[in-house]
Amino acid sequence: MGDPDSLVGVTASALDGAPARRLSAPVARISHAALRQNVASLLATAPGDTIADLRRDALGHGVADVAATVLDAGIDAVLIDPEAAVHLRVDPHRIRTNGLPSLGAHELLGLPRHGVLAGTAVMSLRGRVVSTKRLLAGEGVSYGYTYRAPADTRIALVTGGYAQGIARALGNRVVVSIAGTPHPIIGRVAMDVCVVDIGDADVADADEVVYFGDDVTPLSAWEHATGLVADELVTMIGLRAEREQIR
Amino acid sequence: MNDFQVDLDRFAANLAVIAARIAPAAHMLVVKDDAYAHGLEPIVMRAWSEGVRWFGAFDVATGQAVRAALGPDARIFVWLVAGSDDAAAAVAAGLDIGVGDAHLLEHVADVAADANVLARVHLKVDSGLHRNGVRPEQWRDVIARVAELEKRGVVQAVGIWSHIGEASDADDDDARQIFETAVDQARTAGLAPEVLHLAASAASFERPEFRYDMARIGAYAYGIRPAGGPAEDSLEVEPIGALTTSVLRVDPSGVTIDLGSLDGLPSSLAGRMRVHASTGQPTVLAIGPTTSMLEPWPGAAAGDPIVVFGGAGAPTATDLAESIGSIGEEIVLRVSPLIRRSYR
Repeated sequence: MGDPDSLVGVTASALDGAPARRLSAPVARISHAALRQNVASLLATAPGDTIADLRRDALGHGVADVAATVLDAGIDAVLIDPEAAVHLRVDPHRIRTNGLPSLGAHELLGLPRHGVLAGTAVMSLRGRVVSTKRLLAGEGVSYGYTYRAPADTRIALVTGGYAQGIARALGNRVVVSIAGTPHPIIGRVAMDVCVVDIGDADVADADEVVYFGDDVTPLSAWEHATGLVADELVTMIGLRAEREQIR
Repeated sequence: MNDFQVDLDRFAANLAVIAARIAPAAHMLVVKDDAYAHGLEPIVMRAWSEGVRWFGAFDVATGQAVRAALGPDARIFVWLVAGSDDAAAAVAAGLDIGVGDAHLLEHVADVAADANVLARVHLKVDSGLHRNGVRPEQWRDVIARVAELEKRGVVQAVGIWSHIGEASDADDDDARQIFETAVDQARTAGLAPEVLHLAASAASFERPEFRYDMARIGAYAYGIRPAGGPAEDSLEVEPIGALTTSVLRVDPSGVTIDLGSLDGLPSSLAGRMRVHASTGQPTVLAIGPTTSMLEPWPGAAAGDPIVVFGGAGAPTATDLAESIGSIGEEIVLRVSPLIRRSYR
């Protein structure tokens, strides 16, 4: 049973009086442990100066946080968008705003390329269960009723929709994971929510729902379902969802 | 320089079209997700000055921002409230709360009692969409509980509402019947809702019987027509947002523009869309992460302005969406928040 009032995962800034996280939006969680692991692998093989590509807010991962970690882990310099430079509190000699990177974002951030994962995934995306209810055989789900239940089941309304980069094409195409178990997204993904078939699983309000980033939910499945590529998927998600840095 | 240009006069014109079309029903302007990525504050300020009094914020944080912009007289509706803390914040900000779940009803009643205020709720019946909303067979129990809470002075059911599936007119007629039954049952139970609302953009224009007291309209206010549906000119609304960029360099093989998939242009549109240049409508040959390649045209030069969608001569967001099986809203909402918004 989840606790809707749990503060687990709420960042210190939310408790310090900064604007509270939208509980109604999914959370892009950034693992700095995975980031450091990817940097270590890259440094073991990359010759010469290492310049990491952190443009577009480090592909939505948060350029200030990611730059601090990768420079601390031994990357020589970061390539960023010029507008981002004012926000960085790192040695200005290690910032580039033009030229080419020597390290691609895929290996650094652990994104799939042509279906193969490079490194360890740094971003995972998590929604939460808003409510659960019954769905009876023959009943439709979400706009256009593109899904109709073949048998009686139970469904969960989950935070996250295409406004946060959970592409509309994912409806009826991919699974999410709840407590490590896969459950399909059924019906069209809406602007801010989607519906998941939970069958007879023990799922309650406020339970965490992993959209991608664990073993059950690889991002490569999203590439296949949407025709989009991993870097554009994670960039939009990181910029539109709530974001949580786990150091 | 990339820019998402929002034409607020055109927005005002769309609001006038909507008001005339749905009268005497009121327009609740849906402003969730940063006013469909057009920028919340300029949109709600202009809408208020054009006479819009109801705002559909979806989440509590957006509702608080609308309250801060417009002050105490705006009616602000939120319909995804996640647990007690969120409910307490909604009550404190004087928001109208959409309640489609018995658990949430109790959270709202508890926080209203703690704060010693009357929480305004809009009860949602599930009329077939099966997202939020009380299932019809549980509706009587919920309205009975609301009647008790009204007697205690902690909640007031000011509205009854639902969302329709728009799968077919027949399915929507079924949904409306469920809605009507739910309203009748609520009145029989002693509730006295002031505002009934069922329709969003499409049904509010096409199906008068779905309008009731208010229609929740976002897409048409921003000039986003439905994919596969009626054209903008028959709706008499026009897109208010235009995504613009410029030519970076010109090579014999193509013209490179300063906008790519990481800026929100879906890579799946490569080869399937044209943009507006001063001399024509070149095809987008390739969409890379931070730049894209257009087919070359005579006289192309670095710095030339390009309209990607939404402006005169360019495709609309919905045109782009239709070529990749999506909807205009998704195209607009993918425009990166890192791109500047400008207003005129």
